[in-house]
Amino acid sequence: MLDRVVHRTDLSALIDELARTRRIVGPVKHEDRFFYEAVDRAGRLDLDFTYCVYSPKAQLLPPKETLLTFDRTTGNFTCHPLYDERPTVLAGVHPCDLHAIKLLDHVFGAEHADEQYLSRRRHMFLIGIDCPHPCTAGVFCRDMHAHVADSGFDLMCYPLERDQAGRTVRYGVQVGTTAGQEAILYGRVGTPPTPEAEQHLARYQAEKDRAFPKAIPVDSAGLPGLLAKSYDSLLWEATARRCYSCGSCNLVCPTCYCFDIHDDGALGGNGGERVREWDGCQLRGFAEVAGPHNFRPKPGSRLRHRVFRKGKWILERTGLPGCVGCARCDRACTARISLVDMYKQLAEEV
Amino acid sequence: MKPRIAIFSLTGCEGCSLAILELEDQLLAVLDAVEIVNFREGMTERAWDIDIGFVDGAVSTPGDEAEIRHYRESCKVLVAIGACACLGGINTLKNHQLAAEYRGYVYGERAAWFPTTAARPIAAVVKVDYELPGCPMVKEEFLRFVKHLLAGRQFRLPDYAVCVECKKRGNPCLYDRGVVCLGPMTRAGCDAICPTYGSKCEACRGIVSPEALAAAALNLRDQYHVPQEEVLAGLRLYGAYQEEKLP
Ligand code: SF4
Ligand code: SF4
Ligand code: SF4
Ligand code: SF4
Ligand code: SF4
Repeated sequence: MLDRVVHRTDLSALIDELARTRRIVGPVKHEDRFFYEAVDRAGRLDLDFTYCVYSPKAQLLPPKETLLTFDRTTGNFTCHPLYDERPTVLAGVHPCDLHAIKLLDHVFGAEHADEQYLSRRRHMFLIGIDCPHPCTAGVFCRDMHAHVADSGFDLMCYPLERDQAGRTVRYGVQVGTTAGQEAILYGRVGTPPTPEAEQHLARYQAEKDRAFPKAIPVDSAGLPGLLAKSYDSLLWEATARRCYSCGSCNLVCPTCYCFDIHDDGALGGNGGERVREWDGCQLRGFAEVAGPHNFRPKPGSRLRHRVFRKGKWILERTGLPGCVGCARCDRACTARISLVDMYKQLAEEV
Repeated sequence: MKPRIAIFSLTGCEGCSLAILELEDQLLAVLDAVEIVNFREGMTERAWDIDIGFVDGAVSTPGDEAEIRHYRESCKVLVAIGACACLGGINTLKNHQLAAEYRGYVYGERAAWFPTTAARPIAAVVKVDYELPGCPMVKEEFLRFVKHLLAGRQFRLPDYAVCVECKKRGNPCLYDRGVVCLGPMTRAGCDAICPTYGSKCEACRGIVSPEALAAAALNLRDQYHVPQEEVLAGLRLYGAYQEEKLP
């Protein structure tokens, strides 16, 4: 169901209107690749982007952030939490990443209220952009049922019409929240959807359905079963011989939310700050505890852990997919260790 | 009592001790917290009862060897700073050539006046308590080290690869452009400075783990078809790897 039909310039105008009180973050092209970046006006965004090398996770959970500052100079311990309260419009989020944000919302909102995350999230206006076809080779979003999203956005834009150069000229817009509804009303852009536009959307969706192939032998519902049979597979050790334990797969992943917290003291020793930084289960020190004891000292056990989190455990615990099939991990791995390849091999083994 | 600090240099460019002076706005705070009693780059007086001695440069001559033993005896805590002191550094390039050859082209006719040995990291000669690697040493890491020591906290080097810092900075990966970067096998701590400025990592902070080295040997051969001599030459630049064969 569409709520509005807008021209590409209308969408830009709408984002600029929202940006009167917000920062804009969205896909910007550098050479041949796209990155989420803060810009001063919507015209700098490229909403016909393929995929962003890094996921939008960093906009909600930055790689490094100060959670609080503390001081004990006066003898009285004082401590000030810091919250990022900058209103932001995050424009240009594909369905896979919208699903990933839903998982982050669950983890940092429902399971445990993380005030720093929630502050960013509350101040964020999300504009989704649907993908008419797979953004690049190797993705398996379809198999993870993450190539379409019917919620998790303020506005969702379907690229209904393109010009000769391949740029989208007309979007069908779906409203997801009251904030989205208000933006459409006050932005005064576009036209109400006609029956013809609805037909256009139906055609678009049918074409999209044909454009997305299945990429792995089982889908998200079948993965837990496949993995349950694969815990003792020799694949983990064999594949992990190539693994550097560099954590790139974790850090680029939109659903990896693990972090570490440490205190940085000032030189005098009386004050400092508490800092949170991204962590990842592929890193050697991740499962190290006092003792020192490491629960997963070998790359093979770490690799298996990651895959089980992505394909089985998160889904079972939260009901939400732990992986959205964006294949950023596969692309980031300089050892060319690939989830898609591992799933295919495991399916052959069982 | 403020800890008594010394800074020494063996064979190297002394860039690492200079990096301490480059701490700029933090330098005064450091100087406030410690007492520097022996530092050729920054002072003329020299004392020998030292709490913490920082040493840059490799052990590359018989003279270096005598000096490092003296430093070890004079310092309660001995800290190797920089690639030269931690890995042997650039100096180790000579270890893979004939002595007569490199001595000839470096010292010419007077080669006999300058005895040299194979270049070694300090830890090959005396016990080293801490290492702060990198070419040059990372001054932010030095600062973190000093803070930890003063606060009585345990200091540890990052035990993960440069890629972690590279990814946190949101850099595009050099592998996407066909450049074989040594980041995945190299110890982090430099904040991925080379890839951030578009150059591949050359492992000046050393290899992060035996597993990563073993993985590198497999990947560079099977996935990227880099000849083994080239891989070895790359890892030898800063002395990160001294052996003749990869695992
Ligand atoms: S992985 Fe799928 S949903 Fe995500 S951007 Fe690519 S095509 Fe779109
Ligand atoms: S990116 Fe590849 S090499 Fe690095 S930890 Fe992940 S699987 Fe291992
Ligand atoms: S595990 Fe890989 S494919 Fe799945 S969401 Fe993370 S980066 Fe994307
Ligand atoms: S490690 Fe590099 S900067 Fe430090 S002394 Fe050696 S050559 Fe100079
Ligand atoms: S550029 Fe180098 S350090 Fe950065 S992610 Fe790629 S391989 Fe790792």
